Order: sequence, then structure tokens, then C-alpha cells
Amino acid sequence: MEFALSEADTAFRSDLVGFLDQELADGWNRSEHGLGSAVYTDFSRGFVHTLAAKGWLTPHWPPEYGGGGQGAWQHFVLGEEMWKRGEPRGPQYMNVNWVGPSIIKYGTEEQKKELLPPITRGEVFWCQGFSEPEAGTDLASLRTRADRDGEDYVLNGQKIWTSYANAADYCFLLARTGSVSDGRNGISVFLLPLKTPGVEVRRIDGFVGDHSFNELFLTDVRIPRNCLLGEENKGWDIVRRTLAYERVGAPRYARAALVLDGLADWCRTAGLLTDPGVQEQFGDARALCEAARVLVYRVIDERAKAKEPSPLAYQARAAMVQAERAVGDLALDVMGSEALVEKSPGDAQFRNSLGAGIAAGSYEVQLNLISRLILKLPKE
Amino acid sequence: MDFERSDTQHALLDALGTLLSRHAGTQRCRELAERGAYDHELESELRAAGFLDVFGEDGAGPLEATLAVEQISAELGAITPVPHLLVLPALGLPVPEGPVVLAGRDGSGPVRYGSEARQILTAGADRCVAAELSPDDAEPVPSAYGYPLARVVPRRAEDLAPGTSQTMMNWWRVGVCAEALGMMQRAFDLTVQYAKDRTVFGRALGSFQALQHRLAEVSVLVEGARWLTYEAAFRGATTESSAVAAAHTMAALNRLTRETHQITGAVGLTREHDLHLWTLRLQALRAELGGLRAHRRAVVTSRWEVAAA
Repeated sequence: MEFALSEADTAFRSDLVGFLDQELADGWNRSEHGLGSAVYTDFSRGFVHTLAAKGWLTPHWPPEYGGGGQGAWQHFVLGEEMWKRGEPRGPQYMNVNWVGPSIIKYGTEEQKKELLPPITRGEVFWCQGFSEPEAGTDLASLRTRADRDGEDYVLNGQKIWTSYANAADYCFLLARTGSVSDGRNGISVFLLPLKTPGVEVRRIDGFVGDHSFNELFLTDVRIPRNCLLGEENKGWDIVRRTLAYERVGAPRYARAALVLDGLADWCRTAGLLTDPGVQEQFGDARALCEAARVLVYRVIDERAKAKEPSPLAYQARAAMVQAERAVGDLALDVMGSEALVEKSPGDAQFRNSLGAGIAAGSYEVQLNLISRLILKLPKE
Repeated sequence: MDFERSDTQHALLDALGTLLSRHAGTQRCRELAERGAYDHELESELRAAGFLDVFGEDGAGPLEATLAVEQISAELGAITPVPHLLVLPALGLPVPEGPVVLAGRDGSGPVRYGSEARQILTAGADRCVAAELSPDDAEPVPSAYGYPLARVVPRRAEDLAPGTSQTMMNWWRVGVCAEALGMMQRAFDLTVQYAKDRTVFGRALGSFQALQHRLAEVSVLVEGARWLTYEAAFRGATTESSAVAAAHTMAALNRLTRETHQITGAVGLTREHDLHLWTLRLQALRAELGGLRAHRRAVVTSRWEVAAA
């Protein structure tokens, strides 16, 4: 056992911190806006170009696809520092963390040549078309269909809760190619250009930060067969591997820990940080953030050793949810009515924490998976 | 980063496991508990096999000593592993024969193995105070919590060097976490097995989602505690890392105690069942160093540099 980063990764972190201090010095407030807000999306368009020029947009990708060939830890350090600043890459983190890697792993040469270079240059946005009105965390019941017609597929159906769809160029979309009774064995992944005729995006306003969701209506959307990723009906395997990393890919505890530091400053100024009850709540929240960090690190260690994704990711995800909630609750409990002021740290953290147990598979599903795969408890 | 045990750690823990299978375990624990006795035999076996020197050994160190404390506690060893394996070596003090007890800055409550202890270390404001003990200095108190307890009034005390108090508190925190980890894991494993085996209303107890979620949450807390504790030991028990580990571990302990006993039902409350051997002892750990509230507040004073209230 060894609980320290390598010298190279530590040096990378310090270079990165210096770079971010400089690049984000003016006008970038890390906690005020929600991911998916217009402010974020506009800022990130410029920022990711700068990052790409440094070679830090896709450092972990293989060199032949425009990556720096760096290891899992460097990639994770990058994510951690970005989340500490409120993720200035905006929606780009998805392209970079798992859409691109999925294409690298399962794509044809043609798909790689067409789709990967724009991601490495920071020129495109992707969104994730998984959820449907009757299939959220329960993806096996999704109904959006893709039917073969000659050399094309024709898509019909509806997606919902699609963050960034209003700004995205492509959607990493799940559709049913088999029958509904096939469950998870009849699902395929499509790489859908959103400008294709028949795609309509409608905004759903959320109240979490400035976040908006979208609905995606697909009416006779005709796409060529080369938009299919991997084999037909084998989409579930791709998603399973993809989501295994998404669960810990966004190091939410890093932002929660940063907000907690900010709240401690606020409480110190307000003369509250010496209050024993306040101290107990801070100590608990800090411990939960740190526990989430070590459990996520454990998953990254597996990844760095090129092991298959394991169920430990579900424990890490559950711990991150616990940490975010603890900091969100603390903010409202200790700041009093100051926490209600729009875009105050309390307001931002509380609203973010409400979504923590819903995104990337609900908290309850993580607990189900822990029960079944780690504790080996019998099925209900 | 590397979350896997090294070859050295495997070898060490295998050897310790073999020793403990002969000199500890539930049967031995029950025999000793009946007499309220300290296990001098186990201590001398550990000493002879070199386990009391692991902290400062080449090729091993504080993390390995922490893993050893965890395993000794899981096997219910009736000794004082934290002073012996962690606190005394961290302070550069020799490890005497027989129990050594630790007392906190504000603590005057009963201590584990107080009536047999040869030595007591008390955390002062800055310096540790070390005192030899004789049986006359201790007054045993009755207690159901798995360890013989006694109130101790030390005489012939001696101040140690400046700064020793914090070192003692930090390693004591790591040590009490390691003890808790070993015992929590056993209590948890036993409960999970029970949930698989026990049938109610025609189905396995562990197939009820209401219980699955609670067990899953306990597993998340225990795993968090485990890696925070190992990391704190690896970092040399800094004030913040050891307080964070203790705050998280004691919170996990509280939750685990409630859930394991609730899920095992009435049989889990009996002496014939082993669960209490771990869970009652856990409550003694919960009470040390001022308990959960003090650990949480220690996180704050070290993380955000606030004067202790």
C-alpha cells in the first residue's frame, strides 16, 4: 500500500494549479453557476481551446488519437483540479472522459477519424441520450427505437433530462434495436449528429443552479449505418463499462470539500467556527468528503492497473453522494438566511446536492448493486 | 497510489494470523473475559515473534503495525495493542511487559485493563505524562463491555518531551480506528451471513431491500473508515488525517452497532451468539479520546486552525 501520488503526477498537479490560477483569475466564479448554464457553456468553449493547446484536454488518450498517453492518475488529478474550480470544461468533461474513450474502444476506423479529432481540439460538445420518460435509472426498459431501413437506421422516440442538448453537436444515444422484452439485450449505441432532420430539442427549466435539462424528440430521424457504435444489440456492455467510469469520473467530493472550506471561512468571520455544535457538523462533513476521496482513489487505482471495472465504483459513488449532501445540509444549517441568497455558497451547494443522488444512476441503485455484487445478498 | 497489500504485508499478516489462531479467537476471549484477565501469554508470543517491533522495523513500519492492530482486535486479543504497537514506539519509548493504558487530556474515567496495567500515559497540554502503576493505584469497576475496566490514579509521574502529547493523541486515534476496523468487519461479516441464512416470511432476510440498503450503507462507511485509517497511518498520523479517520470510523461504528443488532434480532442479543464479543468491545473504543464529538471537533481545529474550545 502506498498513499501518495508519484513525483511526476505531483509535479503535474502543481503545473496545472498554476495554469488554472492564471487562466481563471478574472471573472470566473467556481460555485455560482450550474453546469449547463449559458455562462458555463460559453466560458468553456474558449477555455477548452486553451487547455487543448497545452495538451491537457485529452492527456490520457492514446497518442495515435490525439492524446498524451498519460496514465489514469494524471487524468484523475486533472478532473479533481477541474472540479475544485467548478469544472470550467463545462460539458466537455463527458466527451473527454468517456464518449471519446468509448469510441476509441468500440469505434470503427472511420468513426475514430471523423469524431475524435474535433474532441481533442475542444471544438465539439456531446450530450448523453440515455434517460426516457419511462426509463431513467432503469435503462433496460427504454423504448426509443432504431429500425434498419436499407443502409440506414430510422430513429423514433423521446429522450429526457438531457443536459447540454441545447448546445451540443452530437448525442451519445441509446436506442432499442431488439424488442422491449429483450430488456438490456436489445439496446444499441448511436452516435447521432443533432443537426439531423427530425431531431427537436425542447428546454426544461431546472432549479439546480442555472441548470437546464432538455427533451429530445426523434421523429423519423434517418442516420447512416455507420452511426452505430459497436455491434447491434450489444450497447448494454458499452454502457456498463462507460458508466462504471462515469460514476467516479466527476470527483464531486472535490467541489464539496472546496465549498466546505469556503463555508468555514464564512463561519469564522461570523464568529461561528468556535461553536462546538457547528464544529461537530463541520468535522462530520469533512470526514465524509475525505472518505469519498479515498474510495474514489481506490477505484482509480484499479483503473491505473488496467483491471476490469469493479463494483467498488458503486461504494465510491454512494460515498460521494453522502459527502455532497452533508455539505449541502451544513450550508443551510449554519448560514441561516444568508444561505438563501441566490448564488451564495450555501445556495449553490444545497441545490447541487439535491441532484447528487439522481445523476449517473440513483443512490438507491448504487445501494442495490453493492448489496448484490459486493455483499452477495440474495435477490429480492 | 497502491491500494493492494504488498508481499511484506501479506507475509506479516499471514504469520500473525497463524499465531492468533493458536492464542486468540472467540473461545479464548470468552475464557479470559470470565476472569477479567489480560492475555500475558498472547503478549509474550507476539513479542517473541517480533510483532511488537514492527513500527520501527526496516521493511515494515507504522502502516504494518496498524494492520497488525486491526488483526489482533478482529481476533479479540485480550491485550493492549495500541500502546504496544503504535503509541509507545511512536514516542520512542520501550514497550514494557503487561498492559499499558492511555488517558486523555480531560479523561478521568475508567480505562481498559486499568487494574493490571504497569504503566499509564496521560496526554497533557503539550507533554505526555508517563507513570508506573501498581495494583494499589487502580480501582476495578464492573462493566459489561468486553474489557476489564478500572479507575486509575497514577503516582510517580514523569513529564516527557515537549510535543509528545499531540503525537500520542494522533497515534492513539489511528490505533483506536484500527481496533475498530477489525471488530467492525467481523461483526458486519457475521451479520451479512446471518441475513443470507435466516429465512423469514418464506424468504431470506437479506433479500428485503429495506435491509439491503442499510447493510450497503454500513459497508460504505466501514470501507471509508478503512482507507482513511490506512492513509492516516501511511502519512505518519498527522493531526488532521488521524482526526478525520477517527471521526469517520466512530460514526461508522455507531451505525454498525445499531444495524448489526437490529438485523440479527433476538439471537444477536444472547451470550451464545458471538456478535456481542465484537460489538460490546466496540463501545469501549467509542468512549475513548472524548468520543465522536471530540474527534469531529479535532478535525475542525486542525483543518481550519481554530483554537480548541
